[in-house]
Amino acid sequence: MEEKTRTSYTEYKPEEISEFKIKDEKYSVIGKSVPKMDGRVKVTGQAKYTGDLKFPNMLVGKILHSPYAHAKILSIDTSAAEKLPGVKAVITHKDVPSLKYGISPARWDENIFCIDKVRYVGDKVAAVAAIDEDTVYKALKLIKVEYEELPAVFDPIEAMKEGAPQVHDEYPGNINTEIHQNFGDVEQAFKDAYYVRTDRFVGNRTYHAPIEPHSAISIWEDGKLTVYCSTQSPHYFQYYIAREFGMKMGDVRVLKTFVGGGFGGKLEPTALEFAGAVLARMTGRPVKMFYDRAEMFTHNRGRHKVVMEITTGVDKNGKILGVHANFVQDGGAYTSLGIATAYYAGAMLTLTYDFVNYKFDMTRVYTNLPACGAQRGHGAPQPRYAFECHLDHVAEHLGIDPIELRLRNARRPNTITPNEFGVQSCEMKACLEKAREISGWQDKKGKLPKGRGIGIATGSFVTGAGYPIYRTDLPHASAMIKVHEDGTAATLYTGATDIGQGSDTILCQMAAEAMGFTYDNMKIVTADTETTPHDFGAYASRQTLMSGSAVKQAGEEVKAQVLEMASVLMEVDVDNLDCRDAVVYCKSNPEIRKTFGEVARTFFVKRGPLVGRGVYAPPKLGGKFKGAPVGTSPAYSFAAQISEVEIDEETGEINVKEVWDVHDCGMVINPALLHAQVHGALYMGMGETVWEEVVFDNKGKLLNGNLGEYRMPTSLDMPKIVSELVESSEPAGPWGVKEVGEGATIPTMGCFSNAIYDAMGVRVSSLPLSYEKVWRALKEKREKEGIQK
Amino acid sequence: MYLPDFEYYAPTSLWEACGLLAQFGPRVKVIAGGTDVLPKMKQDILAPEVLVSLKNLSQLTDIFYKKGKGMVIGARATHNNLVNSPALQEKYLSICEAAHHMANNQIRNTGTVGGNIVNAVPSADLPPILIALGAVVKLFGTDGERTVLLEEFFTGPGKTVLKQNEILTEIVIPDQSFTGSTYIKFGLRRSGALAVVGVAVAVSMQGDICKEARIVLGAVAPVPMRAKKAEELLKGKAVTQELLEEIGVCAAGESKPISDIRGSAEYRKDMVRVFTKRALSKAIKEGHC
Repeated sequence: MEEKTRTSYTEYKPEEISEFKIKDEKYSVIGKSVPKMDGRVKVTGQAKYTGDLKFPNMLVGKILHSPYAHAKILSIDTSAAEKLPGVKAVITHKDVPSLKYGISPARWDENIFCIDKVRYVGDKVAAVAAIDEDTVYKALKLIKVEYEELPAVFDPIEAMKEGAPQVHDEYPGNINTEIHQNFGDVEQAFKDAYYVRTDRFVGNRTYHAPIEPHSAISIWEDGKLTVYCSTQSPHYFQYYIAREFGMKMGDVRVLKTFVGGGFGGKLEPTALEFAGAVLARMTGRPVKMFYDRAEMFTHNRGRHKVVMEITTGVDKNGKILGVHANFVQDGGAYTSLGIATAYYAGAMLTLTYDFVNYKFDMTRVYTNLPACGAQRGHGAPQPRYAFECHLDHVAEHLGIDPIELRLRNARRPNTITPNEFGVQSCEMKACLEKAREISGWQDKKGKLPKGRGIGIATGSFVTGAGYPIYRTDLPHASAMIKVHEDGTAATLYTGATDIGQGSDTILCQMAAEAMGFTYDNMKIVTADTETTPHDFGAYASRQTLMSGSAVKQAGEEVKAQVLEMASVLMEVDVDNLDCRDAVVYCKSNPEIRKTFGEVARTFFVKRGPLVGRGVYAPPKLGGKFKGAPVGTSPAYSFAAQISEVEIDEETGEINVKEVWDVHDCGMVINPALLHAQVHGALYMGMGETVWEEVVFDNKGKLLNGNLGEYRMPTSLDMPKIVSELVESSEPAGPWGVKEVGEGATIPTMGCFSNAIYDAMGVRVSSLPLSYEKVWRALKEKREKEGIQK
Repeated sequence: MYLPDFEYYAPTSLWEACGLLAQFGPRVKVIAGGTDVLPKMKQDILAPEVLVSLKNLSQLTDIFYKKGKGMVIGARATHNNLVNSPALQEKYLSICEAAHHMANNQIRNTGTVGGNIVNAVPSADLPPILIALGAVVKLFGTDGERTVLLEEFFTGPGKTVLKQNEILTEIVIPDQSFTGSTYIKFGLRRSGALAVVGVAVAVSMQGDICKEARIVLGAVAPVPMRAKKAEELLKGKAVTQELLEEIGVCAAGESKPISDIRGSAEYRKDMVRVFTKRALSKAIKEGHC
């Protein structure tokens, strides 16, 4: 039996290099659609998410949420819950630190549990840990909370009015953030303009809805807290958990397991981590906390609804002279990452078109609804939707083709935006031209049959934020590569966080390329604050460029050591050596060669661990005005999207026929993953444009916290997608890379809205463009035309 | 979201099942596919202390045609059993199509036709087409067996004539003279969406004269409703596009929708107009029942 088992494995043989041939290709590992690192374990179910993990003696914890949108807490009686057999701890605000937290340092406004009052339906009141799920749910029902209901406010415009209910006493008028930025002279630009136009648009509250619900397991061992969780950034979790409990960061270890999507919603620690840590300490046992689907919706931190008024002045040829963006955001009950969202909303409008006069006014307002935060495209997609729809009206008025208008204003490489973002690579013009060509725009625009329409929009996004979320001089990314002692494998250690987007895969490709090694023999350990070097994590589309820079440096350090060792072994000058596909060879005579493995093994025997290190910090970026850091980035992606739709004029039903996305995202490390990101971003943007909206009743209670009534598109709703690229290389990125993951969401709402407008001849100026809204707009249009006749 | 405690029985005969219903009275709930009962229990909407599962009553899943009786559909047949039934595909393709557009594949594999009926949700997809085809339901109880016209089965949202100790066992579609039937569901995405409006029609055509018609509307009244004035309007007339438009308007006028998260009453009424017209057009054109 034993014999048989053993022979079922193939015996490892040292690598033969006879087949090695120096290929003409510039790169041996990057630029290729290698299989995803975690593909096999995910499809076979071997991959374990936090919710799958079990520890000996582990308890289950749940949070008790407020049933009221705004109410005073008069009393909390936990005695009955405590007496229930199986309950190990019940906690309220009395048992936890009262220090306020939040992910935006400028507005820490959230408590682990509410102290005096609750601020939205779903606010956190208490928590229970018990031996199993059944007991936890029973115990939650036994906690008696006496409330005194207060008047509540659910609309941001209402919330700003005199006499409106106050969500936080510390923020009078419910003003959470107020921004007034003014670049150049917008008033003068409007005076000089041939045509000035103002339009108003309203966005929608949407939610990320990742497939994996949030989950956290907290374990205390000898004064040290370990948290396994579903996170986009172990670092920020570690920082804020340590801060909340007054601990040294070194005593808090945060580990990411496999994560089933984040999209911005898993960037900040939640009550699952905070309450879980307290419950675990009180009971001395591991505690697993989790949200169910409805609780995910109430925790939210999704897209802000923005009320957008936008004014543009243009000359006769459609050249933009000045833009004024005047926005109000519904922030919900807490800040979350909302200050950055508020700044991003205006900051990112200056990227795709070149103009010098720009004014941005914004008020982010508290309401008694779940808190909003960052969602794919962070703050930018709705304002971009407003701007792109608005520009189509401008083009229409001037009688200029919408693509032509955009081409006349398209940003060029090596320019600076009015809000002082330095743009190096920029193929905006090429994206527009290619999109026009592959979509057959010229044969379609204005020539489609009744009920059909085609629309265009552009977008741009940061490739990593220029500054971290809280003030620190830590580098943004770091990495370490350790080559296995026998030279057969190499492990990349990095804090970079794969949440499904594929960063593990592309970082291993980059490591192998830089080392002169092979992808197949790369291993990776990531996102564990104790074993992996620091990285800020997965947000702001930063990892390919920032983590990638650190990985490249680490790989090059390994390679340099291998070549130096090989030089001694082969008695060839080090400058005459190179390494590729795990073969070290003599450049002047490639027949003289050794395997990487052999050289690496010798290195370990003679000198000890073969390790490479890398670190990345962006240069100092941006201007000096208030809010200048938000939107700065070492590089920006650019995109043009065109969509073609068909409208059922009787029902308002929207049928998306085809979408074309053309991206300038620099050098591509893994084309398959890149196009998958475009598909995913489009899917999300399309859902937010037509189908998705979180809806509440007049008491602030969520009406569609489930995947049946919160209608994300299904596979049957997806159109044909054509994802194309333009030639581009970014000087600030390793091998010339830039972002794609969020950028592809930015143009989508505008491009669909413009196509729908083209099909209908009337504008629905609020999101989502639901069938009923389209039906109503068409009905009103017919009635109006009837009257005119 | 968790399932509260309950007692569970899975009887092997209808007699035993009805006995349990009589024994536990209002504390019991029958469960077949569970796609409605279990989520409602998790959400605290239903709190039965006892569940009686029909899973061991395998005879209730049969779908077959019996001469002289008609098409018999076991109440525990799943939606996908309906979709894939050769007997239904041959005689009543419109029922297969209605089942095919319900919910999503996972639910269609589990949810049952009986459950879809006894839940009496106004937006349910199967009742309109079954009513259009004159379906009768068989109710089995400790007091004996009775049959009820499906059209008379519903009394309000979530309410039916089914008694506490009764179980719906089968649906019978009698032989009929209709030449065509169809059901069109209008939902807000292509899969996994409840009907905003559902329209089922059955027509009996002779040349281009419509001799008889049934128009049944779902999701626009407390119960699935027949648009009888619209039916009358169509009867005996030559079908033209103008007539269909007029009938759509008439049916819309008869409907009594409410506004909810999926659509306003005004929108629903207009969708009744549109889909009555389209359903009639389709049933007349395609001809199969």
